[in-house]
Amino acid sequence: MEGRDIRKHYPVTAGLLQRTVGWVRAVDGVSFTVERGKTLSLVGESGAGKTTTAKAVLLLEKPTSGSILFEGKDISHMSPSQLKSEYRPRVQAVQQNPWSSMNPRMRVRDIVAEPLVVNTGRSKQEVRKRVLELLEQVGLMAEHADRYPHEFSGGQRQRIAVARALALNPSLVVLDEPVSALDVSIRAQIMNLLKDLQDLHKLSYLVIAHNLATVRFMSHTVAIMYLGQIVEYAETEELFLRPLHPYTKALISASMLTLAEETELGIQPIVLSGEMPSPLNPPPGCRFHTRCFRAAPECRDTAPELRDVGGGHKVACIQA
Amino acid sequence: MSAVVLQVEDLRTSFFTRRGEVKAVDGVSFYVREGETFGIVGESGCGKTVTGMSILRLLPEPAGRIIGGKIVLDGTDLLSLSKKQMREFRGRMVSMILQDPMTSLNPVYSIGDQIAESVRLHQQLPAEDMVREEVISSLRLLRIPAPEMRLKDYPFQLSGGMRQRVVGAIAMSCHPRLLIADEPTTALDATIQAQYIALFKDIQERTKVAIIFITHDFGVVAKMCHRVGVMYAGKFVEKAATAELFRSPQHPYTVALINSVPRLDRKDERLYSIEGQPPSLTDLPKGCRFHPRCSSALERCTHQEPPEVEIGREHSVACWRTS
Repeated sequence: MEGRDIRKHYPVTAGLLQRTVGWVRAVDGVSFTVERGKTLSLVGESGAGKTTTAKAVLLLEKPTSGSILFEGKDISHMSPSQLKSEYRPRVQAVQQNPWSSMNPRMRVRDIVAEPLVVNTGRSKQEVRKRVLELLEQVGLMAEHADRYPHEFSGGQRQRIAVARALALNPSLVVLDEPVSALDVSIRAQIMNLLKDLQDLHKLSYLVIAHNLATVRFMSHTVAIMYLGQIVEYAETEELFLRPLHPYTKALISASMLTLAEETELGIQPIVLSGEMPSPLNPPPGCRFHTRCFRAAPECRDTAPELRDVGGGHKVACIQA
Repeated sequence: MSAVVLQVEDLRTSFFTRRGEVKAVDGVSFYVREGETFGIVGESGCGKTVTGMSILRLLPEPAGRIIGGKIVLDGTDLLSLSKKQMREFRGRMVSMILQDPMTSLNPVYSIGDQIAESVRLHQQLPAEDMVREEVISSLRLLRIPAPEMRLKDYPFQLSGGMRQRVVGAIAMSCHPRLLIADEPTTALDATIQAQYIALFKDIQERTKVAIIFITHDFGVVAKMCHRVGVMYAGKFVEKAATAELFRSPQHPYTVALINSVPRLDRKDERLYSIEGQPPSLTDLPKGCRFHPRCSSALERCTHQEPPEVEIGREHSVACWRTS
């Protein structure tokens, strides 16, 4: 999967005639690559545009411009029937909140079977067999199939959601904050499960996350987003050992477990001032300069390009 | 060493439901000193919030009742106070910050009015402009920019971080001795969370307020708390100074919790995971509550409950393996 210069701008309308008075630049020129069997994480705070990017991938939002290539084909050139047969079944999702992503009145059996019934012509028996196979893969038992979602804990529900996402043998799964609604001791179980399934099925993951520690554990490549743009993009280990963008450094500092870790990585505790500006009216020049602790006068005028500083490590900062 | 502001001894809080007694808090003891932050860490349902609510005596009645123990705040046993006396204590002596500012603030009142409400209620000030002064000074304490201009703003006009500061301003407006903060940073973004924590450390330095910090996030604990208690199924399993707890955790649950959080300073191939789930509080396992999930459980753990034992200065553990 490859995203090229994706933009999503929402119009802001006002007045009696609902004239467009401005644009919210939710995603503003984002490019990324998810390799087969690998994980790319989009990291950022609320309003960074990570969810909008994921929605574009899931065809829940039509990008204003830019293209998405799936296994080499531009999906904007596919017909609706092609999308239905060649794209949608191959790209599935697991949502953040397992309490709202499932119909409480459906049995687990039917929840997991739904994609199979809608997308394939399998017989009832085949569907039944596949459901049990899926439940086993995510660590649930056959007897769970006839229960309702409310009978399960958060971690188990997330397992059901994973089983549903895997039903059609997708090649890419979008994981939108897959563990942030779960308790600490349960998170580890689900993260381990997701990794095992990735190895087993050679799955690609596009992970949306705000927790950096989760990201380091789960991903091969990380893209740090700020105000609709990617500010740093690198292999996971490279990013954590050699963060270059001031925003990345601040995020890492904010997610440190202990002070000892910070000193080991040579990171000074950083507390940023202010908040993320509105995407309706992003600051000129570098979008981060209003909160940057290293901002120079020229940062106010020139928007930095996302440039390669070696080994595929890209950063959008003139100082790096 | 600073004076002890709050002393909780063997607190027991239960909910009486149709399915029987739910022992949400089952014999919890701790203290907080002036200018100190005591963290209560645990997963959902371990009783950390109920502990906070019990101190404020804000349990949902009649189901929730404190059935035993002592809560002594600045020499007064809160459990001996009448409802009316307790009302006076709240806000003035002890206040609270909740997780979600969007639900703890009233959407149809300006923030100035909401802060003024608690000032009027708890500090009998003779004139309205003195109330206004107090409101502005509490906004200033929380470093809300241009407080005079903000008084007429409504919650929806503020960002999440600013709203949580307003909640903080209400809590601090009457200069309480004790502040109970229940997951105050959970709804905030990472960099805003860091700001909020830095701000509260500074406020604590200036006002010497004692803080009980309830959270599930060890990262926040490391940055904010002086001492921590780890709760499991209604009890503390371990209490220690923060640095000590991270350096040498003793209880298997503490060890497992710390290990199951992925680390930033190294690449984990696989996360340590605790199998199973916390027990139901209506049907607690016999013996140590953690034994069904414990990888190093002894025979004794299955039928005898381990007592909390002091194993070092301010470090106590409830586990048969260490005692």
